[in-house]
Amino acid sequence: MNRRTFIRRGLWGGLLLAVGSSIGLASWPTDRSRKPRRGLRAIDERHFAILAAVAARMVGAPKADPIEIAHRIDAQLALGAPEARADFGKLLLLLENALAGLVLDGRARPFTHLSPAAQDDVLAHWQRSSLLIRRSGYGVLRKLTQAAHYAAPEAWADVGYPGPPQIGIPS
Amino acid sequence: MSQAIALHKPGAFVDAGTLADGATLKADVVIIGSGAGGAVSASQLASAGFDVLVLEEGGHHTRADFKMREDINYPMLYQEAGARATKDVGVTILQGRAVGGTTVVNWTTSFRTPAHVYEHWRSAHAVGGVTVEQLGPHWDEVERRLNIQQVSLDETNRNNRVLYDGCKALGLAVETTRRNVKGCMKSGYCGMGCPVDAKQSMLVTYLPDAVARGARVVSRCRVDKLVVEGGAVKRVAASVIGDDGYNVSGKQITVEARRFILAAGGIGTPAILIRSGLGGGMVGRRTFLHPVHGTAAHYKDPVEPYYGAPQSVASHAHADRGDEVGLFYEAAPMHPMLAAVATPGYGAMHHGAMQRLPYLAAHVALAIDGFHPSEEGGTISVRESGAPVIDYVVPLRVRKALLFGAKTLARINFAAGATEVGFGEFPHVLARNEKELDRLTENYDVMKLPLFSAHVMGGCKMGDDPKSSVVRSTDLRHHTLENLHVVDGSVFPTSLGVNPQESIYGLAHLISERLASAWKT
Ligand SMILES: Cc1cc2nc3c(=O)[nH]c(=O)nc-3n(C[C@H](O)[C@H](O)[C@H](O)COP(=O)(O)OP(=O)(O)OC[C@H]3O[C@@H](n4cnc5c(N)ncnc54)[C@H](O)[C@@H]3O)c2cc1C
Repeated sequence: MNRRTFIRRGLWGGLLLAVGSSIGLASWPTDRSRKPRRGLRAIDERHFAILAAVAARMVGAPKADPIEIAHRIDAQLALGAPEARADFGKLLLLLENALAGLVLDGRARPFTHLSPAAQDDVLAHWQRSSLLIRRSGYGVLRKLTQAAHYAAPEAWADVGYPGPPQIGIPS
Repeated sequence: MSQAIALHKPGAFVDAGTLADGATLKADVVIIGSGAGGAVSASQLASAGFDVLVLEEGGHHTRADFKMREDINYPMLYQEAGARATKDVGVTILQGRAVGGTTVVNWTTSFRTPAHVYEHWRSAHAVGGVTVEQLGPHWDEVERRLNIQQVSLDETNRNNRVLYDGCKALGLAVETTRRNVKGCMKSGYCGMGCPVDAKQSMLVTYLPDAVARGARVVSRCRVDKLVVEGGAVKRVAASVIGDDGYNVSGKQITVEARRFILAAGGIGTPAILIRSGLGGGMVGRRTFLHPVHGTAAHYKDPVEPYYGAPQSVASHAHADRGDEVGLFYEAAPMHPMLAAVATPGYGAMHHGAMQRLPYLAAHVALAIDGFHPSEEGGTISVRESGAPVIDYVVPLRVRKALLFGAKTLARINFAAGATEVGFGEFPHVLARNEKELDRLTENYDVMKLPLFSAHVMGGCKMGDDPKSSVVRSTDLRHHTLENLHVVDGSVFPTSLGVNPQESIYGLAHLISERLASAWKT
């Protein structure tokens, strides 16, 4: 974003924030159609739905299972510090938030309500953002979702990885 | 409730889960952390006849647990299940968490500390009590025990071989590395724990040596704090970790001892001091990471970066760049999860790149941080739950060096026959030749280079001036608490310019010998 667009967005941003709050953009409900298959350990169902929607765009492998990926990340977060869990929840809500999206990217819907192509645009905005919080937020979501998919054996054949060798383990 | 525990002999590996809630253990010496510094100290002090108790937060995992699978072994063996990062998540940090510490998952590259590093520490950081001459015999001994030997060129895998060939073609100094292995099968899974016990990590060397001499190693036991009374450390308060390996079970134990050694590593050691109310001054300051930037190169023929000894070649051709930040170059193994994390982009672009995994060569440039007066490194603090955080905004000059490193690695790979070289998340550089490389990296915003680290050093600096250090250099004793020592990678005043493990082994070997003789008299 160059200086001029920043100023323009800055001005418009203030106005939109005011209008947006009055029409409840910030609290537009999340599309929760991506539901957990089993009990959650670290995040709630709303976070889960957003996370699975992100996974569906981040991981390009045709056989990727966004629900399973979100479950794996939930299990991983359950092993982390409570503050890290809380931060991650905030990050998901920031991505989902239609109001922030409107101010910064000109989209007026929550992430989970966007078309796949529009979701990709949001990810591109975050990836390229001049705001460190968005760039690093993108990095966290990218790495966690892609790692959760590719770490598991089901993903290996697709990328030509034969798996660990059979080694005669000395007794 | 207090529980009598069989003392001193025989030694044993004990799971803290088997201890009663409220148990009090006693020992002559308590060592907190069982990695490079803790294990060597434990073995030496147990050999000298002291009753040693080692407390380790991670689990006691052995080769049968090392399944060569990233989904199983990263959560099992790494801090924060593999997801540790700096506060602004600008640098991903890999660090071990297990009986044996980071040595269980490291890639076995072994270097002695370069002589000029100790010279710099002596002149710039008042480290007067340790010299490379004094360390020499201790390194000899460690190298014997850990079977540290130089790799021959024909043992290298292709990922390392292209680094070697490319350096040679460009006239850059390059060598095969020395490794701490015995009977290595070159499977390529060092980072997930050695499945055949070939890696001579602390898990299979100094810790069993310590136990054979009566030491007890208590796993799944996280030290929350040291308790100081009357100007001395009296005991430690620790939490027993629950069945998931991470969260506390609710059980607490206490350990009383005459002497205490902190060996919980960079990040872990300063965090314990801060939680104990012993922070301030230089505690948690000057934490260095050897910030790493990775380069991906594609070849026409398979590289199979997942098989073979992960690191067997290193170049220090650019370690000394005068006033600019120095660099060294090594290879990095690439299994699908690490490759996915290291590959930029999302969706189809990311997947397309992942499908070329067998043809990928991956190399890293490591920046030698902390030598310039302006480089103060990162700072450790603790969050409300007690969990540590490192705040390290990698300075511009370090980042500029890493861009230079990325370009050098690209040239090395072109010289070795790569068809394409890529790095960076956005802008993503993907070049087929040097001309494209130069064009794409012109005006590159180095603040956007994605970084990681596997070498946490510093945070509890040694030195003979109490104002600018935490422990004195002759015996790594805390400047004010006479029965507290720090023996791990956190005492280094800067980074090292070489992979750290042998620097820590040698220093721990020397210092624990000094402590044993001082304490006996
Ligand atoms: C993937 C990877 C590859 C590497 N490859 C190499 C290599 O090839 N060559 C090389 O020289 N170096 C390598 N390293 C680095 C090297 O292994 C470390 O620098 C070294 O082990 C650090 O030693 P240390 O004693 O400071 O800490 P560690 O070995 O990390 O040990 C510290 C231990 O303390 C424990 N601990 C922390 N807090 C507490 C607490 N509160 N209570 C109880 N226990 C606690 C931790 O769980 C840990 O087990 C690598 C590191 C990684 C992550």
